[in-house]
Amino acid sequence: MAFQASVSLDPRVLTLLPQALARVMRSISPDIAQKITEIRLRAGHPLFLAFGSSDAMLDKEGRLTEDGKEAVHCGVEDLMWVFQTASKSSVYAFEEEIRQGFITVEGGHRIGFAGQAVVLNDRVETIKNIGSVNIRLAREIKGCSENVLPFLIQGGRLLNTIIISPPGCGKTTLLRDLVRQASSGNSKQKLAGATVGLVDERSEIAACAGGIPTVDLGPRADVLDGCPKAVGMIMLIRAMGPRVLVTDELGRPEDAVAVRDAVNAGVCVITSAHAHSVEDLLGRPHIGDIIRQGLFDRAVVLSSEPVPGTVKEIVALRQGKVLFRRKPEGCLCG
Amino acid sequence: MWVKLAGSILVIAASTAIGFRLAAEFEERPRQIRHLQGMLTGLKAFINFSARPLPEALRQIASGRKGPVAEMFLRTGELLGRSGENTEQALAAARMGLAKQLALARPEAEVLEQLFAVLGKTNRREQEKCLDLAINQLQEIEQEAAAEREKHTKVCRYLGVCGGLAIVIVLI
Repeated sequence: MAFQASVSLDPRVLTLLPQALARVMRSISPDIAQKITEIRLRAGHPLFLAFGSSDAMLDKEGRLTEDGKEAVHCGVEDLMWVFQTASKSSVYAFEEEIRQGFITVEGGHRIGFAGQAVVLNDRVETIKNIGSVNIRLAREIKGCSENVLPFLIQGGRLLNTIIISPPGCGKTTLLRDLVRQASSGNSKQKLAGATVGLVDERSEIAACAGGIPTVDLGPRADVLDGCPKAVGMIMLIRAMGPRVLVTDELGRPEDAVAVRDAVNAGVCVITSAHAHSVEDLLGRPHIGDIIRQGLFDRAVVLSSEPVPGTVKEIVALRQGKVLFRRKPEGCLCG
Repeated sequence: MWVKLAGSILVIAASTAIGFRLAAEFEERPRQIRHLQGMLTGLKAFINFSARPLPEALRQIASGRKGPVAEMFLRTGELLGRSGENTEQALAAARMGLAKQLALARPEAEVLEQLFAVLGKTNRREQEKCLDLAINQLQEIEQEAAAEREKHTKVCRYLGVCGGLAIVIVLI
């Protein structure tokens, strides 16, 4: 079971790149372009395209190459261009994001930066002298949750679910489609549409532009964009009364507290966390605690092998039972 | 006789118009500086309160307002929204396009250039400091410009009328 991207490169990504690099990217053949998961730029080094767990360089004609001498190289000014364009020449508007090392742009693409951190009182104030940029491409794959959905529904309602995987395996893509399914309803699965509250701290799920989602989240989704998860979950419960609450990448102690409050309030919570497996997640502080307390009914474990979006297993957490496990040699579907 | 009279009236009218035109320019400068201070105060609110990115903030401040200063902010915001333009380049291009309408002299133009050199490059706290400094500097410049206006507008008007009369007397 897997979902694969089959959409072309978002033209909005190319506007982030300096003209010379954008021109090379435009000349990449469509079948390669649709497989790109990341574009990596490092000062003084070749531009790399990542395809899940593998990568390749590009020559001036937009062809993949192994030869570093032929490859298109990036300069410091190219990285500054990307930073300036991604931050809309307004560092103050992305203070918190820059502190965390990335900015999310229109389309939900995440632009990560590495360089010299400016630290004040043990807190990263900003990043200067940027040396590396990673453009992680977000893709809207409608229907990608279709095969997972039957495992997450009981008695016509969604179960509390956590999606687990290392970065780049498709957590956000799956979460986005689950929001759409929950909000629109799915007659095939006998799931009625419900009010969905989405706390999109990193603006990746809804990819809001001016507060309006730029992806299809169905007709009943209320999005709190750029708001810290813990605060946002409580705000949405009080203000919008959602039946399903969705948020991304749990990790901080206050996130665990907010999830506990939401579940105790009778709201279905669908979320994600970084881990390789359920066992890994149980070992994590705070998040591991709420799993042990039985707050979640289902865990969906994703992998990037053989392709990003591969569903490795689906676990009924309370029963400790594996409902689905991908056979290593099994064929892909979905 | 009638021709001379008509000619004299024309000369006096033209000279007076030139005098009043020069006086209007002296009046326009403090008005535009005041307008500029208002726009920067608005920008401060957009940056501090809603953390709106510059292209959007500049466009929103200018919307619904008239005059060359508002137009300059609007154009700067639009240029900045395009890929690759930085704040200084966008401001310079907007000013160049409005050179005839803008009555800003060197002192206020320098304040504006210094501000736009740091605008968008630091956090909110620092942006606020820079905007406050620019607004204070503009207040001082406005006072000087207002004093100049008082001094020069009357002189220009008198010179216009009197200059016309002097030409007529010399020619007759």
